[in-house]
Amino acid sequence: MRTRLTLGQKRSLEGFGFVLPWLIGFLVFMAYPLFYSLRMSLSEVQVTATSVNLTYVGLDNYRYAFLQDNVFPVDLSNFLIESLITVPLIVVFSLLVGLMINEEVPGRAFFRAIFFLPVIFSTSEVVMTLFTQGAGGASFVERFEVFQMLVRALPQRLADPINAVMGRFTLVLWNSGVQILVILAALKTIGRNVYEAAAIDGAGRWEVFWKIILPALRPFIVLNAVYTIVDLSLSPFNPILSSVSNHMFNVRTGMGYASAIGWIYFTIVLIALAVVYSLGMRRVNTM
Amino acid sequence: MSIQRDVLKRPSRGSEWFRPIKTRIRRLLLGTGMKSGLLSKAALMLLLIDVGYVYLYPILYMISTMFMSRADLIDPTIIWIPKALYWENLQMAFEGLNYWAGFQQSILISSAAAIGQAFSCALAGYGFARYDFPGKNLLFLLVMLTFVVPPQTIVIPLFLLFRQFGWLDTYLPLIVPEILGLGLKGALFIAIYRQFFLGLPSSLEEAARLDGAGPLTVFTRIMLPLAKPAILVVTLFSFVWHWNDFFLPTMFVRDKGKWTLVRHLSGLQQALDTIYDLDRYGLSSVTEPVKMAGAFLVIVPILLLYFFAQRWFTEGIERTGLVE
Repeated sequence: MRTRLTLGQKRSLEGFGFVLPWLIGFLVFMAYPLFYSLRMSLSEVQVTATSVNLTYVGLDNYRYAFLQDNVFPVDLSNFLIESLITVPLIVVFSLLVGLMINEEVPGRAFFRAIFFLPVIFSTSEVVMTLFTQGAGGASFVERFEVFQMLVRALPQRLADPINAVMGRFTLVLWNSGVQILVILAALKTIGRNVYEAAAIDGAGRWEVFWKIILPALRPFIVLNAVYTIVDLSLSPFNPILSSVSNHMFNVRTGMGYASAIGWIYFTIVLIALAVVYSLGMRRVNTM
Repeated sequence: MSIQRDVLKRPSRGSEWFRPIKTRIRRLLLGTGMKSGLLSKAALMLLLIDVGYVYLYPILYMISTMFMSRADLIDPTIIWIPKALYWENLQMAFEGLNYWAGFQQSILISSAAAIGQAFSCALAGYGFARYDFPGKNLLFLLVMLTFVVPPQTIVIPLFLLFRQFGWLDTYLPLIVPEILGLGLKGALFIAIYRQFFLGLPSSLEEAARLDGAGPLTVFTRIMLPLAKPAILVVTLFSFVWHWNDFFLPTMFVRDKGKWTLVRHLSGLQQALDTIYDLDRYGLSSVTEPVKMAGAFLVIVPILLLYFFAQRWFTEGIERTGLVE
């Protein structure tokens, strides 16, 4: 027996059908692992050849991470400070390069191709190889005595991450390819007539940049910041990747602790995204 | 657009002709209003070349260094161009990477994952763009959630899950999630497709529907052919990102015979030490040029791909209208 569906219900079902494979994948490969790793992070995990045993231990793993482990907090703090430098660096760099390429200079397509090039291998082990051979540093910045003195004046906790970023300066900039394209595409959405109207009103290029271009780009700059933060997760320089994989098979700490590290990292990412979003979407009094 | 510009220019051109030479030169160099002059264009060019040089420096360095012999490397008079092209580095790296084997594995995984994502993300993107059903917005929010979840947070349960399925040391963990529209940056691809399908007129489906075509027919016969630009962009990006992926393949595929090229690169030093028995001779194991040659060999296939499909990579984001 078939019950007759209204046209609307039928359409709904069809639409749901298209999304269903994704939903199955989501439940199996995302929702379940996410939930299970949260449970593991609150447990002591014992893995045998055939089974996995969880013993609830409350927040012990989290406590261990911050109070007893003497590697993880240092790794984390270095990574956070490095990210506070690299994320704005990438966002600003992609904005500037996007603006430059958007001008009618000869060889625009060529420059666009150049600046996008690293995207095709910036996530990989290749970057690590270049880095260990010292090919990606900012030797041009390090040559300035002033900069060296400034860094030396800082406490060790801050100086280390700054030097780390300087040691791979170019490789950091390599993460801006997609973001540059986003800026370029966003600039195209500002109509020619807007510029013309501004010119008629007697606005100079400087004013046009601050009053028209920047406000129009705002959501895309936020988008770029979000993308950059998410992209950092799989960066070869992300210490959390190796802490998770090292602790996973460590007999003493094990998968429970590794999951806790994963969740601490996830929480930090969410906080960072929330901060970026609220900063970026805050209303500004323009006029 | 160009017609419009001509129309705007034409009336002023006549009057400009009679302007004193001095003003005309000044305008040419400094520009007028929104149009930049030659001077600022030249300055911009210089700046772009400069920044571009810094940006490309590691690659240029890699290519230059991989042709250097040990003598060239020490010689302070040699900076960029080695005395002679020294091919032995490439040869050594080729052996150390186990190149053909790794190349085949990389191609296999990347193509399967890319094709899987190109199709499955299109399905989901289409559903989100062209249909209304209860809970749609919540589901799309979940899509966005998968984008921000760091792989390191879920890798352990996935590892255990794949162990239970008996999928470890096979490629299934790297391909099956992709076939369902998840996996590496799957959410981004769904968003690209969704945006693309949102931009198509709704009359397309209605006409086909009146002719009695079912939803799947409409999708495969009408929508997919129209979505070629989006398909191409997603396939290319997915291929390249899977080619470079290191963390997940390292986790799930430990069998050396199934390593991808990128994985072989991180084991290059060890592999060469074993092949050449370098420790015995007290040699400083693998030299820098060999490592550079190895890195080059790993990226050369995608460099070639980029060389031919460059426009699709760089214009894709504009064409698919992701930014709107």
